[in-house]
Amino acid sequence: MKQKDWKVHVLALVMVAIAEYIGIKRFQLGPGTVLLLPMLYALVMGMFLPLLKLVNRIDMETASPYIGLSVMFLTAKMGTTIGPNLGKVISAGPALLLQELGNLGTIFFALPVAVLVFKMGREAIGAAFSISREGSLAIVADVYGLDSPEGQGVMGAYITGTLFGAVFNGLMVGLIISLGLFHPYSLAMAAGTGSASMMTAALGPVLTAYPAMEAELSAFAATSQLLTSVDGLYMSLFVGIPATEWLYRKLKGKKADSATNEEVVS
Amino acid sequence: MKFSDAFRIFVITGLISLIGNFIGFKINPVAAIPGMLILLVLVCIGYLLSKVSPVKLPSIAYISALAIIASVPGVPGAEYVIKHVGQVQFLALCTPVLAYAGISIGKDMEAFKKQGAKIVLTAFLTFIGTFIGSAVIAQIILKLTGVI
Repeated sequence: MKQKDWKVHVLALVMVAIAEYIGIKRFQLGPGTVLLLPMLYALVMGMFLPLLKLVNRIDMETASPYIGLSVMFLTAKMGTTIGPNLGKVISAGPALLLQELGNLGTIFFALPVAVLVFKMGREAIGAAFSISREGSLAIVADVYGLDSPEGQGVMGAYITGTLFGAVFNGLMVGLIISLGLFHPYSLAMAAGTGSASMMTAALGPVLTAYPAMEAELSAFAATSQLLTSVDGLYMSLFVGIPATEWLYRKLKGKKADSATNEEVVS
Repeated sequence: MKFSDAFRIFVITGLISLIGNFIGFKINPVAAIPGMLILLVLVCIGYLLSKVSPVKLPSIAYISALAIIASVPGVPGAEYVIKHVGQVQFLALCTPVLAYAGISIGKDMEAFKKQGAKIVLTAFLTFIGTFIGSAVIAQIILKLTGVI
């Protein structure tokens, strides 16, 4: 494996070079600013590699653990944006800590729609308990297995997030800013939800709207992001998944157990 | 994964990021090398700590804690860390992550195609729910604690 993975790294280098060359593109769409980032281009290029026969199954498996390792640089960089603003972060500490619970809010919002409107089966549990980032994949793999309905749910939502998450968040946050309901601090904290691309896309319109507060807004977002990446795993495992299971049973009523198979097929 | 294997990937990722940092943000790689080395050291120490520590926490918990401490004003060397890491753009570090994700994504596409629009819409709802849930709580607590 050691020798063979050079192909993966060379491909990554070429993809990064092209993506960075294209650069950041932004344009207005309604009230929101759409921010197209080089990381999105890199991902889209990746999707074409199998069609061009440039990667095979083994390359895909090889590249998979490198995602988690390369993320560590990002983590270190975020830490160094928090340090200089530590005073502000600590004074906003209670809000930063408690808003982490908001990440569970999605369960009561997304799961009922998935189950009652879309008539989804147990895939809904995998898709709705979180925003389905790498940590959620790991949890579902551990609890249900990735080949289970729950596993397919989290995988589908993961791909959705990776493909459309940044663009969607950029638009959504642009819209929310224009409502004027939230203080920029609250928006910055909410931007840190555990995904680097989504955080960047969500924070982009906030920084554009409030350029004078850039340093502290970035620090709040980075802190919230780091908190989520640290506590998210435990919150999901001990609170998120059990709460989702419970709500799923309530929503499905008696059908909860028998409904799974037929709905996977449909 | 053994540390030597992980270290090799860290160095390669660092090099790719330096090149991306140059192409995308016109920052001379020579000027960005000290910052990248600082990040590399933080990553390696954090990674090793998570391996040897009796408290089982993910590497990112250690890495972020180290990075915060190293950049708090007043800590010896913090000025140096802030100045040099500033030469490495956050976004330039994101792109290699998504490049590796892009290379590996093919293995998940079949499952995705089978599920279609419902899963996409459900995922969008989780983004809305998570953002608004967090923003509402943050707003209330910031008001209650007098920060805003």
